[in-house]
Amino acid sequence: MKWITARRRHPLAGYVVVILALALFGVGYAALAPTAEEARAQTLSAEAPAPDDVDIAEGRAIFDQTCASCHGLDGSGSPTGPDLREVGSAAVNFQVSTGRMPSMDPDNQMPRKPMVMSEEELANLIAYYDAEIRDNEAGADVPYEVPASEPERDDFEDEGEYEAALETWETEYDAYIEGADDTDMGMKLYLTNCAHCHSWSGGGGALTDGRWAPEIHDASPREIYEAMVSGPGAMPMFSDGVIDPDEKQELISYVKTLQAEPDAGGIFALDRVGQVAEGFIGWTVGLSLIVACAIWITAKQRAHD
Amino acid sequence: MTENNNNDNNGAGDEKPERVVGTPSASADERVVSEASAENESEHAGPYEPFETHIRPEEQQRRGEKMASAWFILATLAGIAFLAAYFVFPPNAADEPAIADPQISQYSNMLLGGTLTLAMFGIGAGMTVWARNVMPHYEVHSPYDELPSSDEEKGSFSEFFMKSADESGFTKRPLMRRTLIASMIPLGIAPVVLLRDLGPLPRDTLHHTPWENGRRMYVEGTHRALRAEDLENDPNGMISALPAIDDDRYPHGISLDDQAKSVILLIKVPDGDWKEGMNEPVSEGSDETHMNWTYNGIVAYSKICTHVGCPAALYERTTHRILCPCHQSTFDATDAAKVVFGPAHRGLPQLPISVDDEGYLISTGDFAEPPGPTFWEYQRGGGN
Amino acid sequence: MSKTTQAPKALRGVGNYIDDRFHLAKTGEKNLRKVFPNHWSFMLGEIALYSFIILLVSGVFLTLWFKPSMVEIVYDGSYERLQGVPMSEAFASTLHIDFDVRGGFLMRQIHHWAALIFVAALVIHMLRVFFTGAFRKPREINWLIGVAIFALAMVEGLFGYSLPDDLPSGMGVRILQGVMLAIPLVGTYISMFLFGGEFPGEDIITRLYVLHVLLIPALLLGLIVAHFMILWHQKHTQYPGVGRTDKTVVGTPMFPAFAVKAGGFFFFTFAVIAGLSAFVQINPIHLFGPFAPTSITSGLQPDWYMGFMEGSLRIFPNWLDFTIPIGAGYPIMTAVLVPGLVIPGLIFGALALWPFIEQWITGDKKAHNVADRPRNAPVRTGLGVAGIVFYGVLWMAGSNDVLSETFSIDLYLTTYIFRVLAIAGPILGFIITKRICLGLQHRDRETLEHGYESGTIQQLPSGEFIEVHKESSDETVEVLSSKRDPSSTALTDEDVDATGVENPDARKGMGKLRRKLAHWYTKDNVSVQGLEPHSGHHLHHSQEHASEEGGDVER
Repeated sequence: MKWITARRRHPLAGYVVVILALALFGVGYAALAPTAEEARAQTLSAEAPAPDDVDIAEGRAIFDQTCASCHGLDGSGSPTGPDLREVGSAAVNFQVSTGRMPSMDPDNQMPRKPMVMSEEELANLIAYYDAEIRDNEAGADVPYEVPASEPERDDFEDEGEYEAALETWETEYDAYIEGADDTDMGMKLYLTNCAHCHSWSGGGGALTDGRWAPEIHDASPREIYEAMVSGPGAMPMFSDGVIDPDEKQELISYVKTLQAEPDAGGIFALDRVGQVAEGFIGWTVGLSLIVACAIWITAKQRAHD
Repeated sequence: MTENNNNDNNGAGDEKPERVVGTPSASADERVVSEASAENESEHAGPYEPFETHIRPEEQQRRGEKMASAWFILATLAGIAFLAAYFVFPPNAADEPAIADPQISQYSNMLLGGTLTLAMFGIGAGMTVWARNVMPHYEVHSPYDELPSSDEEKGSFSEFFMKSADESGFTKRPLMRRTLIASMIPLGIAPVVLLRDLGPLPRDTLHHTPWENGRRMYVEGTHRALRAEDLENDPNGMISALPAIDDDRYPHGISLDDQAKSVILLIKVPDGDWKEGMNEPVSEGSDETHMNWTYNGIVAYSKICTHVGCPAALYERTTHRILCPCHQSTFDATDAAKVVFGPAHRGLPQLPISVDDEGYLISTGDFAEPPGPTFWEYQRGGGN
Repeated sequence: MSKTTQAPKALRGVGNYIDDRFHLAKTGEKNLRKVFPNHWSFMLGEIALYSFIILLVSGVFLTLWFKPSMVEIVYDGSYERLQGVPMSEAFASTLHIDFDVRGGFLMRQIHHWAALIFVAALVIHMLRVFFTGAFRKPREINWLIGVAIFALAMVEGLFGYSLPDDLPSGMGVRILQGVMLAIPLVGTYISMFLFGGEFPGEDIITRLYVLHVLLIPALLLGLIVAHFMILWHQKHTQYPGVGRTDKTVVGTPMFPAFAVKAGGFFFFTFAVIAGLSAFVQINPIHLFGPFAPTSITSGLQPDWYMGFMEGSLRIFPNWLDFTIPIGAGYPIMTAVLVPGLVIPGLIFGALALWPFIEQWITGDKKAHNVADRPRNAPVRTGLGVAGIVFYGVLWMAGSNDVLSETFSIDLYLTTYIFRVLAIAGPILGFIITKRICLGLQHRDRETLEHGYESGTIQQLPSGEFIEVHKESSDETVEVLSSKRDPSSTALTDEDVDATGVENPDARKGMGKLRRKLAHWYTKDNVSVQGLEPHSGHHLHHSQEHASEEGGDVER
């Protein structure tokens, strides 16, 4: 390391450090930023619609343990949690599968988290909800025909079973996404009804009172569908009457295809934030690098300056 | 610059700072100083005075030449790679995806751009090394020019100018001067007149939209007419809609101009959430209240912000705020879309709606006020 | 190094051919010997010049395929995802450049990055000129040209951003139209004429295109050439130093050294812009989708240089709006007019007028070629920082939704914060900067008087530790003692002249104002006039001195 010692007092040493740091930052970002492949992989999922072998008794146990403290034993709500009787099972599935429920902090908006229970437990919970809590047919059902999240290895006992499920799910997912054929309809629906909160890229955006519209990169088609029919948080509802299931498929396919598309302009897409990030990079990286070059060109040399 | 203190100190340690020292390499200091100054004084034949010319020692020049050449070679190779990269990824041929595929396009872009960057940087770096290590360092003194001319020159000029002007008759013959100036005036106005046909006069185009009594509405994008019952299952629904027009001349059946002023936001408000403002008349002296213009809990407002025209579409079902994502003007959907925050001048105009015999949602007239950015004459005429 | 080589025959031939026709030998040599002072901050304007060249070249490339037409067509090009989508020809031809023209995507990104860098370079170049007082006589006209270039560059950028007709660009045009409509009396007429009818109409892109590729670049090119010729004629300013005076410039001659350095810098600028364009995606219009007047996205922003206008549109409240109660009533929308017209007018007006205001305050009619060190003009520097803070706050307010989301702050709260900051920030910025400048002046005086802190710690026989001060270099002494006290003829003029007649100017309102401003401009200063360098009687050159007296030491 003698060469470093000898040169570190060189007038250019500072700039070299800056350039190295920038380069490292760039490489680090490239390594950490999720690639399109990963982003896509995270969104996927599929499991079969709930069959008859659900255990309502276990569902009741889960509800009483994890939900009833805020929503009441009969789901009629309390000061800390809303009435669940008319929200529909789509809402239950959405809130639990995106990890927003059960919430530890009912006063604040919940970010997306890993689901706290297994798929089987969720199925039991929904069965109990449908049987005991829900008011008749109020609210929307879980759209089982729409692909959910990618199956996880933990939910399967052996590898073969998991791989079979994964393959089924992939087929379903691709069929759903590629089944849409009217990009213009999907785009119009998305850009006129969704993008003003969730942004053109699905990156989310600010709401009032400190709340935000979440980014929807990780959301599965089924979750997006459920969010539309149940209107979680401040989000308005888009029932099947207003946007029918085929139209929803166009919309979901549009945004999922957009999100999965590689960035043709280069590997650094700045999270698709757009102009604010571009301006920031233009000043911090672009202009600084050029100025660093100017400093090199005009740097005083010991010799004669 | 006081910072020099540090520079001086770094290399020289406890010695008194030298103004003229050697190369960056400390060991060569002494030898170099003597060599350089000797050369300067004896056999200097450069373009600038010897004392202004600080020649780099031969060894440094040799190293500089090698270094610069290395950069130039890198630039050449990168330049060749750039040309090659151009041909690696074809544009869209028969079936192969080529650069129309975003992934391939990304590779192509990075390869072309990366090689171009290297080529450019190589040339720049090579030239910098050349200037800094091979070429002598010139510290040339030169006078700033005295800018004002001497009084003599000024006097001579002004005398010449005035004599010439007088001789031309321009100052002495006012009739000719004034007629010349007069002749310029119409020509000066001509360009303004010629621009008259840039566009039509506003008249009352901004006051009218395609909404009229009995006009159904399409969900934007689907071209499906909405029925009131479609919103039955949306106690907190919202949807962006356009007038149902199918004009073959436009891909969407309706011109962009008409879309821009007639787009509406349909919002379903739960009973009991309405506020006082809904009972006020829609415009001064009108019999209609805002509430009369809703149907079965569904209210329709213009989607175009009255501030500067972005679609104000961000509707929060919990607070019933309609927010414009551009400049955050906020309107209360349950209170006749009055401004509750932000820069907008007036609320969003409301569209009167009802249903026809077949249960389809229809407008029963036009907006009470012109939709879109507020303009000077917006309260004049127009409306219904 | 030793013998001048004879010019090659071919070169001599060309040289003679030209000289026979233009008589250029003498002028040519004089210009090649032109001297340019060396400092990195003198290269900032060059960044802008080179970015402009890159913009011209890449822009010409783009025009070869771009179709400035708003005719709606159904896309059937090779970018698969948008096939079958109705869009304007402008958008479709931009997709063609991106996905059918090899290198087209790169060129479009180069064009956009170069634009961001161009305006950024203009800004920092302008700040350098401002803070060093390089706008003073004889360079006021060049400063005005610079302000005009800055203003035109912004408009040029805005129009260029609008051309591809994608979602954010169309919204930019929409906002422009909204601001126009707010203009009292003639707003609707201006809008109808510019757009050829209602928004969006079918003409605006064609018209913006002509302005963007022909009219404004021609104006910019003319102004840039004039800017450069004036610089060439007057020669560049320089920082103070040994041998550098208002009469003599010291630096690198144009040929050969400066030419090579400047040439190399062009390639560096291009390299950085090309590097960004290769790896960092900018303005992905194919992902945004085509413009529709009914669609909108969150996080919608213009390019950075329009950010301050976007920000002022966001934070200026509608409290001052009123209606003229004639007939049906005519609205005056201050919430649009102030941010859209008054604030940019104020910013550009203040920039353009400052050299003349400062000259009026100080009465300084001398030509200046040696730049001020910013600390030596504390009021000017403070005002500059106040301006930066004001602009910066507005700029940040233009991204308040992104900030609100990123840092989880209430959206309305960000608006209130920025409203307060837009007023308090510049005032604080001015006060703090002025204090810092005066502190630096104090330190300079100390250094001049006592030498610099050597970093060498010595222990005195008494056991006390001291830091030895050393004499500064000649260069430092020259720089420090070059400071001139701020002065104003308004203060030195007597109230009564030699014959006892009262000076009428001093009594009038403007005269009074001028004296007040002059007092404010000059009152805080740490003078070094008449100060002998290293005259501090406690100076320690060496250990002996240090051990004799322990007064001037930093403990």
